[in-house]
Amino acid sequence: MQQNNIAIKVNGLSKNFDISESGKGFSGKLKALFHRKRKIITAVDGIDFEIKRGEFVGYVGENGAGKSTTIKMLTGILVPTSGSAEVNGIIPFKERKKNAAKIGVVFGQRTQLWWDLPVRESFDLLRVIFRVSQSDFNSQMKKLDQVLDLNSLMSMPVRKLSLGQRMRCDIAASLVHNPPVLFLDEPTIGLDVLAKESIRNFLAEINREEGTTIILTTHDMNDIEHLCKRLIILEDGKIVYDGETELLKQKFVHEKVLEVEFHDDGNVIQGIPGVTVIREQGCKKWLTFDNDNYGIGEVIGTIASRYKIKDISVNEPSVESIIRNIYNNRVTLAMPSEKSPTK
Amino acid sequence: MESIKIYIMLFTTSIKARMEYKVSFLFYIFAILSFYAGQFGLLFILLNRFHEIKGWSMGEMVFLYSLQAFAFGFTNLIFSQLVNFDKMIVDGEFDRVLVRPLSPLGQVIFSKFEVSTAAHLIIGFTALYFGSRYANIEWTFYKIILFPVIIMGGVMIAGGIRLMVTAVAFWTLRNRSLVHTVIFSSKEFINYPINIYNVGMQFFLTFIFPIAFINFYPAHFFLDRSGSGLLHPSLEMGTPIVGIIVITVSIFSWKAGVNHYQSTGS
Repeated sequence: MQQNNIAIKVNGLSKNFDISESGKGFSGKLKALFHRKRKIITAVDGIDFEIKRGEFVGYVGENGAGKSTTIKMLTGILVPTSGSAEVNGIIPFKERKKNAAKIGVVFGQRTQLWWDLPVRESFDLLRVIFRVSQSDFNSQMKKLDQVLDLNSLMSMPVRKLSLGQRMRCDIAASLVHNPPVLFLDEPTIGLDVLAKESIRNFLAEINREEGTTIILTTHDMNDIEHLCKRLIILEDGKIVYDGETELLKQKFVHEKVLEVEFHDDGNVIQGIPGVTVIREQGCKKWLTFDNDNYGIGEVIGTIASRYKIKDISVNEPSVESIIRNIYNNRVTLAMPSEKSPTK
Repeated sequence: MESIKIYIMLFTTSIKARMEYKVSFLFYIFAILSFYAGQFGLLFILLNRFHEIKGWSMGEMVFLYSLQAFAFGFTNLIFSQLVNFDKMIVDGEFDRVLVRPLSPLGQVIFSKFEVSTAAHLIIGFTALYFGSRYANIEWTFYKIILFPVIIMGGVMIAGGIRLMVTAVAFWTLRNRSLVHTVIFSSKEFINYPINIYNVGMQFFLTFIFPIAFINFYPAHFFLDRSGSGLLHPSLEMGTPIVGIIVITVSIFSWKAGVNHYQSTGS
């Protein structure tokens, strides 16, 4: 019965794509017609992870890191080259229909609604496709409407919705059958701040209230910071980090940033132990200091005693800056510092 | 049974979606009508110009045409969406199909029906009427019972071939020209009795690309003709069997295609 606790289980999962290259120019293309150059690209390279029921996991990586390919294997769209995957105890590509009934999928770039028809028609159709009883459907729609405010959109054709409205409808559409697992592939792409906010609130709520397991791929690190307790980072098809989002911060950030506004801009900041200037803009300077070896009070004290300060603030590093560092290989994940920084 | 209800709903939705664009819908109807006007013209020519080709009278050829018109008419009705299938792959729309708890093939087929087929069937009936009259077909009990069976076999052959050609898109992404060539040009070959072609061509249309079973071979049974062409007369009832073989192979190739599906970017 321990199995029941696990929503997704992935072992040594890999996916290769067979890409045929066409040559350059007309003669190259002509040649390629007869001698196909084949190239094998490994999009996902032997990944392992396990996701428990009710987890909210961020799945991030640069473009081409293999995020979407993983999601497509877990939803049954792609057949893995090797390795195994189970979702709700079902092997997705072997039992597509059974798997589909128990998952919700949102692709931010594409809608699952019927483009030319009023929103309501799409929902009615999805109700029938997913074999949801009318009464279950009604109560689910009522719940979704309360948070996503769908009623006003119901009679509009999908093509006339704004991106934010469409995304609200799309997310609701993926939940018509109240699936235990929800996959979201870039659900906030292209949305404005308010729309992002309302979608985030909603996702947090269904994760909390319904215990829906959610896997979210995104390029927006604010999504991750707000929503995902756990983070899986992918690079070149391999997992380079899998752990708590908060822990990532602690592990990889040994520097804090001080934003200092001085009274005049002629100051040369020198000779303060552990401090380096990373950016200057008029009277404003951004300084970093080694968080492990120097106390923040000490550093601020030293600066304040030497210069006239107008304003000062301490910036927590964002997950985004950490991940950017990981992408740029400035932080080597293999050798994080042994001692954990005191908080 | 419930799946059928779902498919029908999918289909009615597609019609509603199409009617959203009223002008385009009207143009579409107009295009269909002009296409079929052309088909009727062909029928008229068949009836008037030729007296006999290779031992086939004009009436018999019109009957041959009617079998073809019925088989392709129903095939167009059922498998019309397959013509645009490569677009579903290129646009990534097929991803969506795979994450719904319904058969992917069923969803693709029912996402659009070619209503225009009604016209095709009218042509079939017209040709059937004139064909039987001029060729003096005696409609016995067996012939009446077997006629729909032969048509069904023909639909399985034509539909199966169409499905196989469609499945090629899983490997090549774009295959529209292949689809058009195979689907729309191939049937021109069987507007005439295949014994007008050389043996190589007859072999091809019988064993490799068995569309001769759609009309040429079964026509022998209905017309009470002695065997011509490559096969023994007893195989003139081979259509349903050939149909089952073709449709089975095509479903396997479709399934192999789905498993080979590579989706698109992002």
